[in-house]
Amino acid sequence: MSNLAERGLTGAPAVAGQVVRPTAIGRLSEGQTAVDFVGRRRISMWVSIVLLVLTMLSLFTRGLNLGIDFEGGVSWDVPAAAFDENDAITVLSDNGISTEGSRIQRRASESGEFIKVQVETQTDEVTEALRIEFANVAGVAHDEVNVNLVSSSWGSEITEKAVRALVIFMLVVGLFISIRFEWRMALSSIAAMIHDVIIAVGLYSMLQFIVTPATVIAFLTILGYSLYDTIVVFDRIRENETRFAAQKPPYDDVINVSVNQVVMRSLTTSFSSVVPVVSLLVVGAGILGATTLSEFALALLIGMLIGVYSSIFVASPLLAVLKHHDSNWKSRNIPRAVGEPLREMVMGGAMGSRRRRVVAAQAEDTDAPAEPAAAPVDGSTQVSAALSHPPRPRKKRRR
Amino acid sequence: MKRSRLWTSLIGIVVLSVGLLGLNLALDNTPILGLDLKGGISVILAPVEDGATAGDLGIIRDLVRDQLESSGIAEPDVRVEGTNVVVDLPGVNDQAEALSKVSVSGIVTLQPVIGCNVGLPVDASLGQQELPLLSGGTCVVSPSTATGEVFERKSAGVNINSQSGQWIVDVDLSAVGEPQWNSLAQACFSGAANCPSRQLAIVLDGVIQSAPTVQTPDFGGSVQISGAFTEDEARSLSDVLNRGAFPFQMEPQRIESVSATAGQDSLNAAVIAGLIGLALTLLAMIAYYRKLSIVIVGGLIVWGMTIFTLATVVSQATNYALSLAGATGIIVAVGMTVDSYVVFFERLRDEVRHGRTMANAAPSAFTATWRTTVSADVVSLIASLVLFWLSVGSVKGFALYLGLTTISDLLVCYFFTRPAVLLLASNGFLDRPWRQKSTTVIGATS
Repeated sequence: MSNLAERGLTGAPAVAGQVVRPTAIGRLSEGQTAVDFVGRRRISMWVSIVLLVLTMLSLFTRGLNLGIDFEGGVSWDVPAAAFDENDAITVLSDNGISTEGSRIQRRASESGEFIKVQVETQTDEVTEALRIEFANVAGVAHDEVNVNLVSSSWGSEITEKAVRALVIFMLVVGLFISIRFEWRMALSSIAAMIHDVIIAVGLYSMLQFIVTPATVIAFLTILGYSLYDTIVVFDRIRENETRFAAQKPPYDDVINVSVNQVVMRSLTTSFSSVVPVVSLLVVGAGILGATTLSEFALALLIGMLIGVYSSIFVASPLLAVLKHHDSNWKSRNIPRAVGEPLREMVMGGAMGSRRRRVVAAQAEDTDAPAEPAAAPVDGSTQVSAALSHPPRPRKKRRR
Repeated sequence: MKRSRLWTSLIGIVVLSVGLLGLNLALDNTPILGLDLKGGISVILAPVEDGATAGDLGIIRDLVRDQLESSGIAEPDVRVEGTNVVVDLPGVNDQAEALSKVSVSGIVTLQPVIGCNVGLPVDASLGQQELPLLSGGTCVVSPSTATGEVFERKSAGVNINSQSGQWIVDVDLSAVGEPQWNSLAQACFSGAANCPSRQLAIVLDGVIQSAPTVQTPDFGGSVQISGAFTEDEARSLSDVLNRGAFPFQMEPQRIESVSATAGQDSLNAAVIAGLIGLALTLLAMIAYYRKLSIVIVGGLIVWGMTIFTLATVVSQATNYALSLAGATGIIVAVGMTVDSYVVFFERLRDEVRHGRTMANAAPSAFTATWRTTVSADVVSLIASLVLFWLSVGSVKGFALYLGLTTISDLLVCYFFTRPAVLLLASNGFLDRPWRQKSTTVIGATS
């Protein structure tokens, strides 16, 4: 994280009456970063393109590893008199059949108790061999173990309905964001959301994790989380749009300022969302041994990280690109602010005059690369430096 | 500032959430747990006759699930095993209840009516039968090959005729069913030998549900049934038409109790892991926000109590059982809930940095972040409403719990966080340590 705010460290130690922190983490926590997110959109664009291409390749060549709920399978009913769930797991793993994604239930009816073992479709030989083995372990005759082919319980109908619901959801949400914000934001946030889900699904394909109904739920959660996170960033952009409108900055500045202002919030939030999920992964799945949870938690973890990444590195740059063609913001031909002028905007919440900005940008161009990182100054120097600047008016009218 | 109203809101939501939680605990109400966590009861349906194909059984599987969901059993696990259809029901404890829920099978036939309640002789050689009417009495009907499959699945609906003000049932004909229906309608409309009464009976498992008089020989893709229906009669007729397409008669063969697949261990693991995660998150928040974190801790407790109450009430009322996916979904929602605080507090810090006092900054910071929270939460609510309305199975259950957590977030944010922060800020409690702290390096980041 330390390199996030490394650029633009030089210059005035105090901006807008505040002391600029000497360390990157300090600047981050005090909202003093000045990272040119828009200027670096090519990097994130390539990252996303590479991830999407990998995903597509994997989906087309390896496909998804669908579990028994989607593809059906085969089941054995073993009388439970001298046989329990652990025996079933032992027999399965002795025969090289993965118990991941299997379903082992104890069932009881008037005719007695039995263990139903259900796994993915196997060849007839394997099915028969296991029937004999189950019968031997349970100490019963071979024909007392019933074998059945099992259909999927998640039929195509559920998928169709879910897909239809998703399409309608995107339309409704697109409409909502268009009304509340604008259509370009709707487009960028939905694109970022699709980007996130595709990459999460791709990861499942690349690692060949078993897809269960819980996985589908995890994907849906990712979808909601991604959209939620993007909306929070866009709301700040929207607010700054109106605040800065009179000063006619280029739109890139609005985005850079807004993203720098919310970056700490995004990190704090993703930290607080990721910690419970990591705990689910480590404590729940690792230590307490609930393997059902592990992949679900992993899917969520990856999805959340991509969700936070995409709202800053996908949705916002995309919005910048779309906005280049917006007539309201077009032809503001001063260059995008970077370095100290950007920091000043981030911290002050207002833009300097256009003339000062252009001059500052030129100054930045000439001396920024040569200058070494400023050494941390002690507290007293900083305070006096802060006082050398005129204090901001206390009660600034907002909007 | 109207402090009294803030206090009312703060005390109100705390008392309400504690009271409802206490009430639930006193009544021993807890959320119903799903199949994977608690197990349930399984009913095995077998076809009465031989010869059902895999396609037929697949249709029956979908019909049974539809029927269960529309009767309020959520997230049943329905699958075909061999030639049987296995229906696992979550949250159902006794066998009689399970049987009555699953008795959804039934064959709908369409039979031309010879006459009703007039003591006609039954000519068995022509395949005629005397069948009871749902409303009382009997009718003699002719045989026919047409079944409920002539109707488009799930197309029947109840409406009110705008002219007569009567309840009517509209239903669409399927592509294959239309000629079948029309040939029957033709016979009845012309009063042919097998249909002198001009009535066509809709029969479910040997009981005539309705015997409307045919008004036209040619139906263009859809059928309207009118009559002196009450609303309930119209609805039950439309349900019959909707479920009508069972290609085979199924009967319950046996009932089994099912153990949990994930089991108590998984639930315990999820709960313990969730609590540890929550504790770590809270510790980080306390380290980062210091005094303000009182609000987060309080807010999350109120939020947790609200979720428990809502989950209990909803799962009891609608049978939406809490599955492992739902439980983990709630853990994930902790993150989104904490975000409402983070957005708010980061804004507060921002305004304080610009030289405002907390008392001054809190109201305007809340106004700005409330807008953000509402926008983001409305999107989540739209997601949950659309998914709940349009999807089935576990996606529907997910949507329900997403909606519940989002509503709780909004409630807690407005009725707890807002008054708590405004009150703490207004008496200067938050001011001094904050300003001192701003010269020391703070900040836990990931």
